[in-house]
Amino acid sequence: MIYFKNINKKYPPDTLALNDVNLHIKPGEFVSIVGQSGTGKTTLIKLLIAEEKPTKGKIIVGGWDITDIPGRHVPILRRQIGVVFQDYKLLPKKTVMENVAFALQVAGETNVKIEKIVPQVLKIVGLEEKGKRFPEQLSGGEQQRVSIARSLVHRPKILVADEPTGNLDSINTREIIDLLQKINELGTTILLVTHNREVVNALRKRVITLEAGAVISDQEKGKYIL
Amino acid sequence: MFLLSLARIFRFAFQSFLRNIWLSLVTITIIVMTIFSLTILILVNVVTDQAVSSIKSKVDISLYFEAQTKEEIVIDTKDQISKIDHVKNIEYVSAAVALERFKATHSQDSLIQDAVDEMGENPLGPVLVVKADEMNNYPLILKNIKDFKIDEVVKEIDYDDHQLIIQKIELISDKIKQFGLFLSITFTLISLLVVFNTIRVGIYVHRDEVNIMKLVGASNWFIRGPFLVESILYAIFGCLIFWIIFYIAIGFINPLVSGFFADINFNLISYVLHNFWYIFGFELVAVILLNIVSSAFALGRHLKV
Ligand SMILES: Nc1ncnc2c1ncn2[C@@H]1O[C@H](COP(=O)(O)OP(=O)(O)O)[C@@H](O)[C@H]1O
Ligand SMILES: [Mg+2]
Repeated sequence: MIYFKNINKKYPPDTLALNDVNLHIKPGEFVSIVGQSGTGKTTLIKLLIAEEKPTKGKIIVGGWDITDIPGRHVPILRRQIGVVFQDYKLLPKKTVMENVAFALQVAGETNVKIEKIVPQVLKIVGLEEKGKRFPEQLSGGEQQRVSIARSLVHRPKILVADEPTGNLDSINTREIIDLLQKINELGTTILLVTHNREVVNALRKRVITLEAGAVISDQEKGKYIL
Repeated sequence: MFLLSLARIFRFAFQSFLRNIWLSLVTITIIVMTIFSLTILILVNVVTDQAVSSIKSKVDISLYFEAQTKEEIVIDTKDQISKIDHVKNIEYVSAAVALERFKATHSQDSLIQDAVDEMGENPLGPVLVVKADEMNNYPLILKNIKDFKIDEVVKEIDYDDHQLIIQKIELISDKIKQFGLFLSITFTLISLLVVFNTIRVGIYVHRDEVNIMKLVGASNWFIRGPFLVESILYAIFGCLIFWIIFYIAIGFINPLVSGFFADINFNLISYVLHNFWYIFGFELVAVILLNIVSSAFALGRHLKV
């Protein structure tokens, strides 16, 4: 599903954010990526959604070589990869439903289709009752679930979550991780970037550990080793 | 699908327009001023061209024959002159007609009327009025006519090229045009900057939306479209507002201006109304292009996915 081959990423002038990274992630996997701050986890995700281009190496997503992807193809790639972040990135003046619908509107989907898909994804994240609320009327965990719902509107094969529970307490964290597992069971490949030792240890799934831009450990059913 | 996206782009554009309403108004004001100076430039061009060509049309060479000159001689002279190169037209004004015209031009002056009546017989001779195809050719034609040795029958050859007036008009109009051009260029540059800045502010205000759009896979055109449309809206509103104001103002200007142009028989207002769609269309297209250029610069690399 995802191949990183001999990836180097250098930010000017001289930050080597990723150093010869090789990864293969298979369809349907649930992979945790751990590592201290500044070790290149977010950079890895930016390369995956073509927000940055690798300095060296090759990236293949679903058989598609995106290493030198032209700008006009980037939106197509991004509709196949759902992304959520620590800060949710919701629009405060839009309701939950509008926030989710926005992702479909800007992709040119018809209103009929939007009205069909929005309730579906809100149901998956368990917010079908709160569609008319504004983000500030929701808890952090609920806001993150809206963000996850939005990332699902294009039925992505891959869902990438960059420290999605970074701002959440342990109960909300638990709920978000459960939700990600549920989405994984529905067939979506999950990449979870996290700092959270308990989360990683409880998952008992594949764990990739980064240090100074390099993969120092890659274990099936791994543990948080730092 | 395409129309749907277009409709959404327009909706986003209007939202952005309204969200920064004061900035939008400032931008439109600058565009109105740009169109104002552009219009002045266009009209000054038109007016001076009209003035000059109207004066040029009055230029001619008149041959005043002695009174009682035989018609054959006049006709003969006319034939000779018609063979000169660049002569476009010769008008034969008989003595009787010349007198009519003289009386008509001095109809207010009873003294002259009386004097003419007293004389009994026509004091005027026939006249030949010669027109050249072009202004520059008059001196040559004049020289040719003088070579005919018709001094005995021709009392006077009158030629006034109005050179002085034309030069004066051209001088003044050049000054006004220069000023108009300066004004137009200045306002064009200012509006380029203002539109650039407004679109930049728009991008800044909408940075969250823009980032989310990129994240969820909106196409480049969907992200840029609203800002481009917004800048086109400024152009359209600017043009409309200017012409509404100008149309109202025309009512007040009309009497002033028509007096000024009485001599050259030119009606500025009817010219403007007659050519409204040309001027309006030209300005609209020009300002839209201008705004697209500056918003394209503003969008620049910033909105690349
Ligand atoms: N846009 C950028 N320009 C320059 N350096 C950057 C940029 N983004 C990240 N970096 C640097 O690259 C390294 C890896 O960053 P990042 O991938 O964000 O790490 P992580 O997500 O693991 O905390 C850090 O040293 C960071 O300072
Ligand atoms: Mg990070």
